[in-house]
Amino acid sequence: MKARGLGEVVVICSFSLSMLIITFMSGCSTSTTIDEQKSSSTKLSMDGEEKIVIMGRRHGNSYETEPGFIDCIGNKISRSENLNVVQEKIFLDTFYPWFEPRIAPLNLNRMKVVLDNDIVAKKIRKLKIRYIVWVDGSTETTEESGSMTCGMAPSGGCFGFKSWDKASSYEATVWDLRGLTEKGKIKVDSKGSSYLLGVGPPIPLIAQVQGVACEGVSDRLKGFFDNG
Amino acid sequence: MVTTLKKKIFASIIITQLFLMGCSTHVVVISEHPTALIKVLPYKIGLVLDNSFTDYSFTREKDEEKITISLGKSQSELLNQTFNSMFQGVSEFTVKPISQIKPIDLYVSVVVEDLQLSLPRETSVNVFEIWIKYKLEIFDSKGSSIHEWIISSYGRTQTRFLGSQERALHQATNAALRDAGVQIVTDFYQVPEILNWINIKKAQKNES
Repeated sequence: MKARGLGEVVVICSFSLSMLIITFMSGCSTSTTIDEQKSSSTKLSMDGEEKIVIMGRRHGNSYETEPGFIDCIGNKISRSENLNVVQEKIFLDTFYPWFEPRIAPLNLNRMKVVLDNDIVAKKIRKLKIRYIVWVDGSTETTEESGSMTCGMAPSGGCFGFKSWDKASSYEATVWDLRGLTEKGKIKVDSKGSSYLLGVGPPIPLIAQVQGVACEGVSDRLKGFFDNG
Repeated sequence: MVTTLKKKIFASIIITQLFLMGCSTHVVVISEHPTALIKVLPYKIGLVLDNSFTDYSFTREKDEEKITISLGKSQSELLNQTFNSMFQGVSEFTVKPISQIKPIDLYVSVVVEDLQLSLPRETSVNVFEIWIKYKLEIFDSKGSSIHEWIISSYGRTQTRFLGSQERALHQATNAALRDAGVQIVTDFYQVPEILNWINIKKAQKNES
C-alpha cells in the first residue's frame, strides 16, 4: 500500500513537472502579425550583378534599429535566395556621410537630392546598387517581473523566478533606385514572454521575439524579388 | 602566524582593488574612420591640433563611479581623414605658425569645448548617449580669422543583454565622432564666410 502510494506520488510529481514545463514552453511562444503592401503584383526584377542594401533607420529619439537585426535579414535573404546583398556597414562607409542618421534621406524626394550629387550617383551606378530596403523599428522589453539570486546558497546555483515580455515592431520599405519609386512595405509585429527558472542551475525559456520578426520580414522580402 | 597575516593583507588588497575596478570605467576609443565621398577642393589645409586635443581624455566622477573616455587619438584621426577627403592636402600642426607658410591656403584649429554623457539609469530611455562640442577656428593663410564655428555631435547606442558599459560607451563615442565628421563634410561649404573665401580664391585663380 505504501509502495503504491510512493509510485502515485512519483507519477503525480512527473505529471506536474511536465505540465509546468509545457506551460512555460507555451508561454515562450511568440505571436506575430505581418502586413504587406506591394505597388504591383509582379516580382521586382534584378539582373545578376545588381545589388540590394538593407539599412536600419536610426533617426528616432528613443530607439535605433539594431544593426544585428539588419544583418539577420541580410544573411537570410542572401543565403536562401542568392540575392546580392551589400552589408550595411560596408555601404555606410562607402557612401559616408550621405546615409548617416543625421542626413540620411527619409523619403524619395530627399533621395533624389542625394542622387543629384554626381559623385554619389556615379558610385551607386558603379556598384550596381538597385534597391534600398529601409528597416525602421526595434525590440523592447515591455514588462519585467520576479527576481533571482545566484551563488548565495552553499551549493551555488540560483533560486527564484524571473519573467519578461518583449515586443518587436518593424517596418521595411523597398525603394527602387532606378526609377526612384517605392515598391512596397512590410510590417511585422511580434511579442512573447520569456522565463528564467532558478532551482539550482538557472533554466532559461527564452522567446525569440526578434528572431521571429527577422524571419517574418525576410520571408516576405524574398517574395518581392525575382532573382532569376 | 606571519604567513596568515600576509595572506589576509594580500586578500584585502585584492578585494579592495576589485571594488575599485568595479566603480571605474575606462574607455580608449579606437576606430577606423571612412573616407568621405565628396568633391575634393584644390586647396591645402593646415590642421592645428594641440596636445590637449590629440591627448584628450574626458573624466566624469558621479555617484562614486568614475568614467574615463580617451578619444584624443581617434578624434585626431577623424579630422585628418575628413579634411584629407575634402581638400587636396592636409598638414598637421601643434600650434598655428606665426609666419606665413606658402603652400597652406587655410588653417583650421580645433578644440573640444565640452563632452557630456548620459547612462540608461540616468534617463528614461534605454540608451547610452554622448555629446561632443567642438570649436573650429578657421584662419586664412595670413592668419586672419575667417570664422569661428561650433559643432555639436551626438552618438548613442542601445543597451544590449550582457553587453558591457565600456563597449556601449565606445560605440556611442564612435557614433558621435562619425556625426562630427558628417557635419564638417556637409556644412563646411555652407558657412557663408567660408563660401565667400572660396569664391574669392576662385576669382583670384581665374584672374591669374
